[in-house]
Amino acid sequence: MNPTELALGQAYFWVCAAVAIAGAVTTVVAKNPIRGAMGLLVMILSIAGLYLALHAQFLAAIQLIVYAGAIVVLFIFVIMLLGPDVSAPRDNRGRLPRIVSASAFATAGLGAMLLLLRTAPPLSSGKLLPAAPTDFGNVESFGRILFTDALVPFELSSALLMVAVIGAVAVARGHHKSDSRERRAAADSASRTSDLSEPKATPSAGVTATKTANPTKVHAYEVAS
Amino acid sequence: MALWFVLSPLLVVAGGALLLMLAEAFSKEGARGGLALGTSIVFAAGFVFSIGVWLYGVDDVPERLALAPWLVIDHFTIFFDALLCLGGGLAALLAGGYLPEYNIERGEFYMLLLFATVGAMMLAAAGDVLTVFLGLETMSIGAYALTAFRRTSPRSAEGALKYFLLGAFAAALLLYGFALLYGSTGHTDLAGIGEAVKQSGEKTPMMVIALVLVLVGLLFKVSAVPFHMWTPDAYEGAPTPGTTYMAAVVKAGAFAMLLRVLLTCFGDKGSMSWSAGWPPALAVLAVLTMTVANLIAGQQESVKRMLAYSSVAHAGYLLVGVVSTMHSQAQGVSSVLFYLLTYTVSTAGAFGALILCGRRGAEAVSYEDLAGMGRRHPPAALAFSLFLISLAGLPPTAGFFGKWFVFRAAMDSGFYVLTVIAFLNSVVAVYYYLRVLVYMYMREPPAGAPVATPMKSGYVTAALLLSAIFVLLLGIVPQSSLEMAIKAASVFGG
Repeated sequence: MNPTELALGQAYFWVCAAVAIAGAVTTVVAKNPIRGAMGLLVMILSIAGLYLALHAQFLAAIQLIVYAGAIVVLFIFVIMLLGPDVSAPRDNRGRLPRIVSASAFATAGLGAMLLLLRTAPPLSSGKLLPAAPTDFGNVESFGRILFTDALVPFELSSALLMVAVIGAVAVARGHHKSDSRERRAAADSASRTSDLSEPKATPSAGVTATKTANPTKVHAYEVAS
Repeated sequence: MALWFVLSPLLVVAGGALLLMLAEAFSKEGARGGLALGTSIVFAAGFVFSIGVWLYGVDDVPERLALAPWLVIDHFTIFFDALLCLGGGLAALLAGGYLPEYNIERGEFYMLLLFATVGAMMLAAAGDVLTVFLGLETMSIGAYALTAFRRTSPRSAEGALKYFLLGAFAAALLLYGFALLYGSTGHTDLAGIGEAVKQSGEKTPMMVIALVLVLVGLLFKVSAVPFHMWTPDAYEGAPTPGTTYMAAVVKAGAFAMLLRVLLTCFGDKGSMSWSAGWPPALAVLAVLTMTVANLIAGQQESVKRMLAYSSVAHAGYLLVGVVSTMHSQAQGVSSVLFYLLTYTVSTAGAFGALILCGRRGAEAVSYEDLAGMGRRHPPAALAFSLFLISLAGLPPTAGFFGKWFVFRAAMDSGFYVLTVIAFLNSVVAVYYYLRVLVYMYMREPPAGAPVATPMKSGYVTAALLLSAIFVLLLGIVPQSSLEMAIKAASVFGG
């Protein structure tokens, strides 16, 4: 590898890394949610660029298809459904705790990175890592490893996907079903249903016996949803 | 064939879950009462297969090495398989009574129990950071969904959201730690990392940062103070069988991971030394966990929340056992394993008794709800007392021997101060466990208050009977189970 190529490669890395950081910062600080989603997209694209530089072509393609193609689109769908001009609720915490905690975390993170950087084995430009094998990171070699060496974790990940699907169904169905049930239950005994969110603040008809006697005590009976 | 045999506990639970899912999909609405029974049978089959593999002798099956390095099947794994199936089965039985009573009977609950247990069993067997992460996420996502199951309840939603956000954050920290470990050793399998750590001798800052990140991730999952913030909310928000599951199975799975990762990767003398290793950090956190959790538990007005804090405190006692692996790995690990066994049956029983004491529209949550239970419903109160006495660690119950072996392991390793603090803590804990007994036997509900009546359910009764048998058996003749724990711990050597 000649010096021009090396310089070009380094320039490529720095551009991708800088764009990725800019995208990440935009995601965090943007007030407009669409702008935040776009920042995320930029970050994902530039990280795909970094993967390419590392010869991980398959990973770069997957990054584009799954993250840029599916997940960011999903985000934008949700934002559009809610209306693009919604913004986050105001943060009521004071300015000082936020600044103190943010700087504490930033110091710890940067300190750890600095420590790693200074103690990592030196990698001078004259001493390059051995070149990756020609088929490294492409679809064939990736697939071969996935179905031979890494077959066990590949199969096990099906349990992970399965539990995620069932969990999503459980949470989503819980809403509708118990909604209709709740209405039926409310019709049955309107007096018994009480709001669980504020058990102490709102004494409700059915359970006042203990609570009016001693209002500081916790709600005696939680009415099942 | 032999490979299938050593994997059978895992495969039975996973296959049973798939079959039950099909059965649930094709069954008519309202005809799903058998699902709890089916789930319990699957867990029982998993338990029986684990015992079968154990008795056959897992070391005699050379084919198990074909799964290396992804899954390590040894006596430690099989011990945990049996323990996790036991805890899952008890939770499934409790769900069979609880869910129909509160009108939230939906098949997904049982599937989540089964698949999360598959994740926990993967975790117990994991021998590579990749499988550790897969198992951990499978177990955790199941637990998040269990917490959010009663979605219309704001408490459930709040607990689930907290648990999910903090859990995802902890998983990210753990992954970061694993990435740094890979960067500094060039291995992703735990044994290879352990070998590289031993070879390198001195500790690089990268390794130390990796160790810190991994420790934070692991301790979050076992809910040690100060990473316990999610525990009371998640435990309170989940339907009580889900809470039982989290307190028993998720905790056991997390401890399996903690032991395996720490002792395989950082098990050599250099990285366990008192001056430079992880045991001192764990010892400090164990003291914090026990003390903070016991002090807060004493102030709770809700029994469910008190039991949640008590499970945090038990994580502290377990960490004492983990710390005492420093001098004798086999003794420390076996005490942790035996404690987990006693804790699983006691806590499942305690939550089960709490379920038994309430019914639709009148779920027992606070101490007042239990007032007068002892006179009006002696069997329910007696069962509750038995499990609380076991959690408090008084003889002749399982909890006594659990604590005894952990404290003895700590004493034998020379951690006298730690043992004294743990002992004082267990005395403090007796206060809030006995407070429930005081309310049940010595207080009467205030006039006009709604009176709790126990629910009638064969499933809950069966779960309580099963746990009671285990609690008494382990408390009176702990010998054979202790020998199993010692044999399981022997895989870590020295």
